[in-house]
Amino acid sequence: MTQNPKKLPEKLQLATSAHVKYIQSLDTRKDEYDYWLTEHLRLNGLYWGLTALHLLGEPDTLPRPETIDFVLSCQHENGGFGAAPGHDAHMLSTVSAVQILATIDAFDELESRGKGKAQVGKYIANLQNRQTGTFAGDEWGEEDTRFLYGAFNALSLLGLLRLVDVDKAVSHIAACANIDGGYGVSPGAESHSGQIFTCVAALTIAGRQDLIDKERLGRWLSERQTASGGLNGRPEKMEDVCYSWWVLSSLEMIGKTHWVDKQQLINFILRCQDTEKGGISDRPGDMVDVWHTLFGITGLSLLDYPGLEPVDEVYCMPKSAITRILGR
Amino acid sequence: MADQGGSQHGIARTSRVRTEAQRQSDLDRIQKYKDLESQLRSLVQSQGADPQEIYTLTTRLLRLNPEYYTVWNVRRRALISGLFSRPSPGSSCSKASSSFSASDTTTTSTAASSPSSSTAATRPSPPSPTAGRSGTTLDNNTPSENENKEKEKNEEEDLKLLETELNFTIPLLLESPKCYWIWSYRLWLLRQAIERLSVAAAKRIWEAELKLAGKMLSKDPRNFHAWGYRRHVVETLESKALNGTSLVEQEFAYTTRMIESKLSNFSAWHSRSKLIPRLLDERGADENARRGFLDQELGYIRRALNVGPEDQSLWYYHQFLVLNIVSPVGHPTIVPGFSLEDRVTYMTRELEEMKDLLEDYDDEKLIYEALLEYTLYLCGLEGRKPEPEERDDLVKWLTKLKELDPMRNGRWADLERDQALTELLPGVEQGGIPILQR
Repeated sequence: MTQNPKKLPEKLQLATSAHVKYIQSLDTRKDEYDYWLTEHLRLNGLYWGLTALHLLGEPDTLPRPETIDFVLSCQHENGGFGAAPGHDAHMLSTVSAVQILATIDAFDELESRGKGKAQVGKYIANLQNRQTGTFAGDEWGEEDTRFLYGAFNALSLLGLLRLVDVDKAVSHIAACANIDGGYGVSPGAESHSGQIFTCVAALTIAGRQDLIDKERLGRWLSERQTASGGLNGRPEKMEDVCYSWWVLSSLEMIGKTHWVDKQQLINFILRCQDTEKGGISDRPGDMVDVWHTLFGITGLSLLDYPGLEPVDEVYCMPKSAITRILGR
Repeated sequence: MADQGGSQHGIARTSRVRTEAQRQSDLDRIQKYKDLESQLRSLVQSQGADPQEIYTLTTRLLRLNPEYYTVWNVRRRALISGLFSRPSPGSSCSKASSSFSASDTTTTSTAASSPSSSTAATRPSPPSPTAGRSGTTLDNNTPSENENKEKEKNEEEDLKLLETELNFTIPLLLESPKCYWIWSYRLWLLRQAIERLSVAAAKRIWEAELKLAGKMLSKDPRNFHAWGYRRHVVETLESKALNGTSLVEQEFAYTTRMIESKLSNFSAWHSRSKLIPRLLDERGADENARRGFLDQELGYIRRALNVGPEDQSLWYYHQFLVLNIVSPVGHPTIVPGFSLEDRVTYMTRELEEMKDLLEDYDDEKLIYEALLEYTLYLCGLEGRKPEPEERDDLVKWLTKLKELDPMRNGRWADLERDQALTELLPGVEQGGIPILQR
């Protein structure tokens, strides 16, 4: 490795306790207008915060019984979960619910007090478009490879992947592949790092990495690193901390994480922290939020930053949870 | 995982301390918002609530928060269950109850049947019961005059309502151009147009939508929601459901216009690359026409590269053309009839062009990358190892890449190993002596 041209001040390091406090404070902001405007993301937000806390080595920060109660209070008769009580069921919140329950080892509570794993599996499986193999987000029919990945993620955690037509879904992903090695939101759409993550991870869950052009994809992904050290999502776009997850996890899955400069990426993520009040932002000096906080931390975890729990590059959950559930 | 709605992008970090007055004003806003929300909730839960009243409340709430997907769903249900001239012809969504409702009876069957309905617009012959208006007419060969009048009147009213809805979302979309829920709601409205209106009327609505996609893209030429939306609108306009014909020439010309207004538009170049195979097929292009087309595109991208060799967007398009030259026959390609000799000639010429580019820009790493890759393609085409002269070049370019782009050193090291470039060096001992020490 060459010398890092942008050496950091010695003291720049992960502000773990500030981040823990920041995440803890998120549910106490009920006197802020934004808290209410973002209720449609509540269950996702809980997953983001909880996962970050586990990776920071503070898994018990959020009380387990209340966490389970809240998750189950979002479930509908049909098995799906809404973002919060009173919100319609949707794939995105359903996946978050499954991920949360998986992380805190609470599937048994889903069986005993919720509608049960089988009903959740049925809800998700019913969202598959049996003609094309892809998935809708809810009954209104928006389709996107994000939902396909979400379905694979949650169903495999529940041990219910057999409920869907995996081969058809895999051929749909193959149809989303582009000549640059990347994947888009649907067939014909341009390559986008977020979409690449969803497609590569879904193929990995399906055991079909053989369909990926790893050389070409690796090249495209490694070119996402800009002079700042951070990663962007598409060519000629600004870098953003969240791509420290989408790009890096994809590189990890195809075994090419060493194609970017790890130290410079670490430095970029650390520069995006609010070291005083906690939280991580998209770029240095911007407002923090829990979404960027999680993906900054998962990025650092993939980069083996000291003191962090390892993250699973496919599921975006603590590796220990994935090992417990899937034995891998 | 979930989308990034609600997260902060590009907003400067400020002090989080609020004055007491600011805090009070926040509390007031919260109260108003929550009052509105609970008003809507109780209305939805009450038996026999007036859909018009529900609809009006969703308007107010969505203006405050267009990310509130459940409220978009409530609005859809209000339209289907009372405001449109009749319940949704194609979907059982009308029966789906909102989670706002007290007796939560959302059924899985609604979820089961609906994803496929999303493709109804582009599917040539949607299975019943999504046949819609025209289907109804076909079933009923001798409609009475009254029925016809009634039908016309209903259609007029539905059209008015759909136009109101489409207009309602525009300011929201302009304010939140990346909000998935608004885009998805608009698409739902557009599908309703196909199901509820005459083909001619539905077509006018979809054509107007193409203009909107254009408007969104002129505001942000890289918005991938808008690009995807445009692709979908074009596909539907071309479909049988709207008695469509191909728009490929028009769309190809559109990518040219977008590129000419800004060269660095990966989205436009990408879209262009996706349109080309169909464009050539529909032109019925013969061998010569195809060769001419390739020449023209190579010329086009070369002129662009001469101005902006640091622009990745341009290189991805160049790579697309080069892959068309070197890819084996059978792949959907610009020149499927090229002989091996043609391919070698074209590849050699491109390499010469890249070397010329180096004369003006000897510190642009993307040129070295292309030279390395294309040289290996040429060797691959000819089924041979690099000639000594080529080896020298490869080693020279790789050395330059390491120097210009140390961030990706891991990649250069892999390339060096995979191509066994170290071993290719004349007079260098085996065992990984760095090329730099030559």
